[in-house]
Amino acid sequence: MGIRKFIFKRLIEILVIFFIILTVLFVLLRLSPGDPVSRIVDPTMTPEDAQRLIEQLGLNQPIWIQYGYYLKNFFLGNLGISFHYGQPVTSIIWSRLFNTIILFTTAVILSALAGVFLGKIASWHKGERTDTWLTLSALVCHTLFLPWVALIFIWVFAYKIGGFPLTGMISAEIWADPSSGFWLKLLDVAHHMILPLLTLFLIHFGSYLLIMRSSMLDTLREDYILTARAKGLTEKIIRNRHAAPNAALPVITSVGLSLAFSISGGALTETVFSWPGIGRELVFSVSNNDYPLAQACFLLIAIVVLLSNLVVDVLYMYLDPRIRY
Amino acid sequence: MKEPDRKNIFTPGSIFSDRLLENWSIFKENLLGKIGLTLLIIFAFMAVASFFTPLIDPMYNPMTGVDPNISYSTGPSFHHWLGTDFIGRDILSQLLAGARIAFMVGISAAFMSIVLGTFIGMVAGYAGKSTDALLMRLADMIMVMPTLLVVLILSSLFGQLNIWIIVLLIALFRWPGVSRVIRSQTLSLKQRPFIEAAKVAGASPLRIIFRHILPNVLPLSLLYMTFRVTSAIIIEAALSFLGFGDPGTVSWGMMLQWVWKTGNMFQAPYWLIPPGICISLLTLAFYMLGRAMEEVIDPRLRKEVEGE
Amino acid sequence: MLKSKIIWFIPAIIFFLLPLSCAEQRSDPILKIGLHEEPKTLNIWLASDANSKRILSLIYQPLYLRAPDTLDLIPWLAADQPEFHPDTISYTVRLKQAKWSDGSEVTSADVAFTANLIKEFKIPRHYSQWKFIKKIETPDNHTVIFYLSRPEAIFRDRTLTTTIVQEKEWSQIAENAKKQKKPLRFLLNYKIDNPVGCGPFVLTEWQKGAYVHLKQSPYFFGKNRRIDRRLIGPYIDDILFKIYGTSDVAVLALKKGSIDMFWWGLQPGYLKNLQQHKGIKVLFNKKSALYFMGFNVRKKPFEDVNLRRAIAVLINKDFIISRILQGYGTRMDSIVPPGNKYWFCPDVDLYGKGLDRKERIKKAYHILRNAGYTWVVPPVDNNGHVVSGEGIRTPDERLMEPFEILTPPADYDPLRAMSGLMIQEWLRAIGMPAFSKPMAFGALLEQVKGRHEFDAFVLGYGRLSLDPDYLRNFFLSSNDKPRGWNMSGYKNRYFDQLANQSASEMNREIRKDLIWKMQKIIMADVPYIPLYDPKLIEAVRNDTFRGWVNMLDGIGNIWSFCQVKPVSR
Repeated sequence: MGIRKFIFKRLIEILVIFFIILTVLFVLLRLSPGDPVSRIVDPTMTPEDAQRLIEQLGLNQPIWIQYGYYLKNFFLGNLGISFHYGQPVTSIIWSRLFNTIILFTTAVILSALAGVFLGKIASWHKGERTDTWLTLSALVCHTLFLPWVALIFIWVFAYKIGGFPLTGMISAEIWADPSSGFWLKLLDVAHHMILPLLTLFLIHFGSYLLIMRSSMLDTLREDYILTARAKGLTEKIIRNRHAAPNAALPVITSVGLSLAFSISGGALTETVFSWPGIGRELVFSVSNNDYPLAQACFLLIAIVVLLSNLVVDVLYMYLDPRIRY
Repeated sequence: MKEPDRKNIFTPGSIFSDRLLENWSIFKENLLGKIGLTLLIIFAFMAVASFFTPLIDPMYNPMTGVDPNISYSTGPSFHHWLGTDFIGRDILSQLLAGARIAFMVGISAAFMSIVLGTFIGMVAGYAGKSTDALLMRLADMIMVMPTLLVVLILSSLFGQLNIWIIVLLIALFRWPGVSRVIRSQTLSLKQRPFIEAAKVAGASPLRIIFRHILPNVLPLSLLYMTFRVTSAIIIEAALSFLGFGDPGTVSWGMMLQWVWKTGNMFQAPYWLIPPGICISLLTLAFYMLGRAMEEVIDPRLRKEVEGE
Repeated sequence: MLKSKIIWFIPAIIFFLLPLSCAEQRSDPILKIGLHEEPKTLNIWLASDANSKRILSLIYQPLYLRAPDTLDLIPWLAADQPEFHPDTISYTVRLKQAKWSDGSEVTSADVAFTANLIKEFKIPRHYSQWKFIKKIETPDNHTVIFYLSRPEAIFRDRTLTTTIVQEKEWSQIAENAKKQKKPLRFLLNYKIDNPVGCGPFVLTEWQKGAYVHLKQSPYFFGKNRRIDRRLIGPYIDDILFKIYGTSDVAVLALKKGSIDMFWWGLQPGYLKNLQQHKGIKVLFNKKSALYFMGFNVRKKPFEDVNLRRAIAVLINKDFIISRILQGYGTRMDSIVPPGNKYWFCPDVDLYGKGLDRKERIKKAYHILRNAGYTWVVPPVDNNGHVVSGEGIRTPDERLMEPFEILTPPADYDPLRAMSGLMIQEWLRAIGMPAFSKPMAFGALLEQVKGRHEFDAFVLGYGRLSLDPDYLRNFFLSSNDKPRGWNMSGYKNRYFDQLANQSASEMNREIRKDLIWKMQKIIMADVPYIPLYDPKLIEAVRNDTFRGWVNMLDGIGNIWSFCQVKPVSR
């Protein structure tokens, strides 16, 4: 099967899966007992007021009609209007998505690099003390409870020691001051990013290290490494030029496959650090019964995961010609 | 496609117990396994102890017992070794009860997802064709969904969820990984002569699956179970931490949520630190146990499990 | 090696960034206020959440305000007290000389426009206070006459305290909205980037997810004027609202001095630590709130008033206040909070007040036994000793079915969740199969208010208006419908009659009599058992700004923002 045909087939599959998720989600959200109006505990909100709001939100119509509207709008690129903010969901999502992407890509890239680097060292010293300690610390970091680590980091680094902002993404003082330049603002964001980044890094690099280590050990047993050794190349060159690039392949897969896992972790990190990203918005909109926003956040996460799985597969095929699906 | 090791093929009624003993002796040598097992035993003791604390004094009831003399969070003292929470409940007894809940959630969710995953994997692998395609597409679909966020959405939608429903949901969303591996294992087993022989002898598909395939994939399923325990515990804890857990149970995640939400987090390290350490250590224990078992069962399977 | 370089690069960046946070010095006095959550919107008609209302309260202004100490109606945008003409049932209100933040004048046309907008679009939460206005006349630019279709007691206290919007800003939006298929939705969702108000502050910037920046309005009508014996400022040029996701972090920010005030009620857990902290002052204020246990009186077992009375005896309100509220609250014996002195009726049935555990159980036991309840094991044995009761049977000889007490979850409000648990334990002591069940807030309201499928619940109103019209709303028979406020399903024709009379009684003394009678009836029938009115605990820094004005419902009031000044000045 050619790569092109494979991609096409997978795209169709993704589309089907996506619509199933969309439908199931829609039905679940609409069948749930709460509605955004019932949350307002204000004696001035009369039952007539509530009914009028429900009608204006279109929630009084039969579910299939609502679904029809939703699909139609969906194809027109209109994800509806957030019940909570009263603003188009797309505009909210876009601003949040950007924040999530910065945090995420940085965290994943950094932890993958560190994982590959340290995994290589561990495999090279297999059985020695270095290896034991690296593996053990990777295991410990990998199983740490993320929100707790985040809380402890805030406590230690931002509160006890100081020098880091408690939460958030920008500091109001700097951004509200018209004299602050672009670089200062950028630096400010970077400064806010360190602790969430450190949290995500700590949780993720462990698993990359473990994967890299075992993959490296497998690779070192391969024939071409033996050939390279026979050619008399130095161990350093064999390790860095021959073994490592191939051994890093599973790390790439794992980055893609564990994306769903990391996104959940991202939601927790964002919530604890008040990082205004998609994950936090999802948690927030879910507790507010803000269906359109919750739905859009979840669908966005689903499509990102689906597509990244595809990208990983394609990348894998491209990098390792032995693999054919 | 990986070939399972020859020594790990069990025929029905084989020397199962001998294998087990032999595996145990390999396991015993494993450092990770030993650490993991020790930790697990400690936590198991905690879980058992949780049944006895309320008997000492009703104020040690983790949910409803309050110290009659204390009405705010206090540090460790003679009566409360780890201090009290914001209304005078004993933190140590909550921590013990948390161990019980964690075991309960972890093991039952993992068990259910393994049973489901193994069964679906075997059926898909054995039946092949459209059944296989259908089941595997379903698995793919569920696999891409972040379990925590799905359960989060569901628990917020339907009021709050009972702890058992949370367990069930975790199980329902964690089987696909297992069934994929079991399926590929079944596919290679299907080609083996003893299955052919059973077919010729006229055994029904169900009988073949349960009598001939199941015993051979069982070790792998058990291995997966330890990793599923880890993820189930983490999901429940995270869910409770975010405030979507079962408010009627005292779990470690719930304790963290209380300390976070009632404004004691920065003043009460004696309350903030223990639950987090317990969650991390218990998941670490299961994870180590899993890795040790993995080396016993098949060192070459390692890659597929990580990253969960 | 590139990779190893990158690894060294990270600590370098961290080191480089460290000084940044130390650079957070303040030179000119910006008042920094912590908010718990992001405001939802700047569209005043959509703003139903606390944080949007808070920011908008500094921008949009009402005709009348409450005085902080006496709680009397004080003319704000109005020039003097409203004049009532009983023969035409009309009120005349004269306006002050005031300007909108764009420099144009505030006129009577703006007031009439606001009223008509609310009426025309039937804007939720506002419409019920305006629908009885028949006609509005504006004889000149500064006089408005409201004609009421019938006497309405809430007009003075509720209608006249609604905020006024500018005709220029909203008339075009309203025109466009009318052309839509869903006009109300269009109006509510209209994006307001720069609200035009006539208050002390105007919006400069709203950086989503991070902060809202307000600066002093050049046109504020109150500046340097004396209103209610206070010299009105504001004395600050800028306010920065910083958004924190959790109270913990906001409290830390307060301790570090990154904010000067946290606009949010604190849990008592923070108190001890904050009070010891130098530079921080903790302020306590009463709230006009009602936290209560409600019953479903439509069905068994709580259709029986004796059972409800027995439960009212069993609940130890003082225990809830001293233990769960840690003393920061007042017990409530009537639906109207005791702080609302004029309307609060002290002369109601107090049930178990002052009794200890055994006396409560005995008293409840007698009430129930006389009403025909029996037990497998009675809670009071033949020698008169209190034992743990088991298997209570209702007068029809059947074992009482297990029932649930629904409460919000512990993270939403730990106090109510814990109160539910305590009540469960007290009821079990007498043999009642009570189960406290915390539930997600939205689902809880849907079940209680929407579908009426429940036995009992613990809920609360955080901000009751001072006018006691809610008493009518909560228990009027006709409000017993889905989404109606009579959640208990209480029906009493005599009460209905009194309630409707009270709504149209314009004489305050006569109305007070009626309201007192209504409270007595409710406390005799106990469809709700009022539990507590928590105190509002707020914290500010006292080394940066001073002059916060204490008031019912806290220091976050317009008076404070017009009075607060830097300590240095």
